[in-house]
Amino acid sequence: MAVKFDIQNLNAWFGSKHVLKNINMKIEENAVTAIIGPSGCGKTTFIRCLNRMHEITPGSRVSGKVIFNGVNIYDNGVDPVMVRRKIGMVFQKPNPFPMMSVYDNVAIGLKLNGVRDKKTLDAAVRRSLELANLWDEVKDDLKKSGASLSGGQQQRLCIARALAVEPEVLLMDEPCSALDPIATAKIEALIRELAKNYTIVIVTHNMQQAARVSDYTAFLYLGELIEYGATKQIFENPKHELTEKYLTGKFG
Amino acid sequence: MSRIIDKDLKELSATLYRMGELAHRAVLEALIECIEGKEAHEEVREIADTLVAMADHVEDKAFELIARFQPVASDLRTIKSYMKIAYDFARFGRYALDISSINKQIGGLRGCEEWINSYVKRMSEKTLEMVRSSIESLKSHNTQIAEKISEREKEVDKMYFEFIDDLIKCGATIKCAVSSVLIIRYLERIADHAAYICESIIYIATGRKEVLR
Amino acid sequence: MDHHKFRVIKDRLIQFLVYLALFSALIPLFSILYEVGARGFSTINIEFFIKPTPTVGESGGGVANAIQGTLITIGLASLIGVPIGLMSGIFLSEYGESKLSVAIRFLHDVLNGVPSIVIGVFAYALITRSIGFSVTAAAFALAVIMIPIVTRTTEEALKLVPMSVREAAIALGIPRWKTTIIVVLSSAKKAIVTGILLSIARIAGESAPVLVSMGFWRWWFAGLNRPVANLALNVFIFATSPFENWVALAWGSALILILLVLGISIAARVLIKGRY
Repeated sequence: MAVKFDIQNLNAWFGSKHVLKNINMKIEENAVTAIIGPSGCGKTTFIRCLNRMHEITPGSRVSGKVIFNGVNIYDNGVDPVMVRRKIGMVFQKPNPFPMMSVYDNVAIGLKLNGVRDKKTLDAAVRRSLELANLWDEVKDDLKKSGASLSGGQQQRLCIARALAVEPEVLLMDEPCSALDPIATAKIEALIRELAKNYTIVIVTHNMQQAARVSDYTAFLYLGELIEYGATKQIFENPKHELTEKYLTGKFG
Repeated sequence: MSRIIDKDLKELSATLYRMGELAHRAVLEALIECIEGKEAHEEVREIADTLVAMADHVEDKAFELIARFQPVASDLRTIKSYMKIAYDFARFGRYALDISSINKQIGGLRGCEEWINSYVKRMSEKTLEMVRSSIESLKSHNTQIAEKISEREKEVDKMYFEFIDDLIKCGATIKCAVSSVLIIRYLERIADHAAYICESIIYIATGRKEVLR
Repeated sequence: MDHHKFRVIKDRLIQFLVYLALFSALIPLFSILYEVGARGFSTINIEFFIKPTPTVGESGGGVANAIQGTLITIGLASLIGVPIGLMSGIFLSEYGESKLSVAIRFLHDVLNGVPSIVIGVFAYALITRSIGFSVTAAAFALAVIMIPIVTRTTEEALKLVPMSVREAAIALGIPRWKTTIIVVLSSAKKAIVTGILLSIARIAGESAPVLVSMGFWRWWFAGLNRPVANLALNVFIFATSPFENWVALAWGSALILILLVLGISIAARVLIKGRY
């Protein structure tokens, strides 16, 4: 299978704090890769480096290469705005745009990129909501406020919003941690479906979720990549002692 | 750091160890019965039944741990292996019962040729040693003891085939031939299961699936 | 039991004192509303709204020109003050903390505290001296009063928009400036508009800076370089005049002013409630 991200010697800092240390890994295309590790190990920083979101924090710094579709996204000529269109992101707490309807939330990415034709927008909104398994639940009232949906629905709305601009990758930062088990199960099933056509990288502190949902798992500890491999192998027979300790709860 | 599951795993391990001791006793008693003619059938039967019940208990407990804790990595391998090992110990009990039944039904090795008796004795000792090794390696998940069993398993296999050759060459009374072949056969199976147990121990400790037979 | 009774008595006593303080504070408000309402209400008739200021000796008359003038002055002031205030507020909230931000905030705070008469004199020196007593000068003075208020309320409104909204927009590949203008502003628009309305209510009633920079005017709008009539000034000039009908007009103007300010404040409240 093809490689979507070729990450070489990735380092990241917050001010003087060295948060990611020499990460080298290749992320597979159209597969789900889970990033696990204890709090503070750098998992969120890591995925934020994949769509150049880390650098919007003042005082942050990145070095190394992230090669995506043959181009290092940190090269001088590369526009971060274009990078973020191809690599979408869903956050931990569902954050639909307040004061905007369901329709507007999904359409805004396209509208702000110059798409004006109502028919095109309508079709795109419908397509995205269908992809996110939300269409049936909202189709009767697309004008209602995004904030009036339940937590799980709001998160699927955010997924639809991200999918509307037609990215190739979906980065998810603990997308289910604010949701109840049923909503979580719906989103996990959605992730498996989306993986057929999108590359998905999901950060999770829930090991069982990583085991259920991912094809590959990477274990980060104190900013370093300790182990990376097929999920089946990692959860049945991890090679590294630290991984074994973390998975069996012997940390601390 | 002590985890909730550790207590249950320790209990399971202790149960298995007890099973091992019981299994060893059953096999020992059954062999003594056949070789020296001492009556022990009821005792062996009781132990065999107990071992089956204990194996069921271990399986149930293991399933409970899986449902409750969703174990992964070494915990998962341990639980899977404990289920297998419990089954292996129950098989020891079953074979012990079979051996004891030979004595009950046709009188064991009473009055048989000396060379047959001593052969069976030697093979019994080797097999019993393997049973003890398997219990020993279970105690501390010791892979070194486990790996050594491979050699002896091959020896027991060799002894099994050699005996059959010898028997055909030398001949014996039907009763002795039937008794001795059956006993040797069961000993070979017991040796196999002892090797299975050691393979499981290696799997728990290293995740590798080695064949020791 | 004694302790308990003592506590109950203390509790009731404090409650009584608190209510007393509340009513004491409300008494001036209600008495003003009553006085102005009673005296001003009798002045209100059709004539009041149609006719301009009467000349000396003329009977009747109205404040139509003052209403026109006040609206023009406020409108002009907003045209200048609101954009500047908005942009300052956006800058302070969205474009990072720096020495410049600290300085700007400090200057706005100082400006807020400058007495309005001083601002009027400043407008006089800057504008009136060059183009004469004019509505432009008054609008300028009022704009300067407005700016710190709009800046502060805009900044606060934008700060209330959670970072997650901005992050979501940036992660969609929306350029920074579009994120700010369209996404963040729209999320905060109710609060921002409320802030603007409140600043308008504030300047509607200013009299001192208007007097100094523009002066009194009895006629209709006559050009940007001439003064216009003003409700607040009407109150000032007419209240102490010897003519009965002028005094009545003063009360009427006061009533209109209060109703205007009240109306704007109520509109602001309704907007805030509407957020939910």
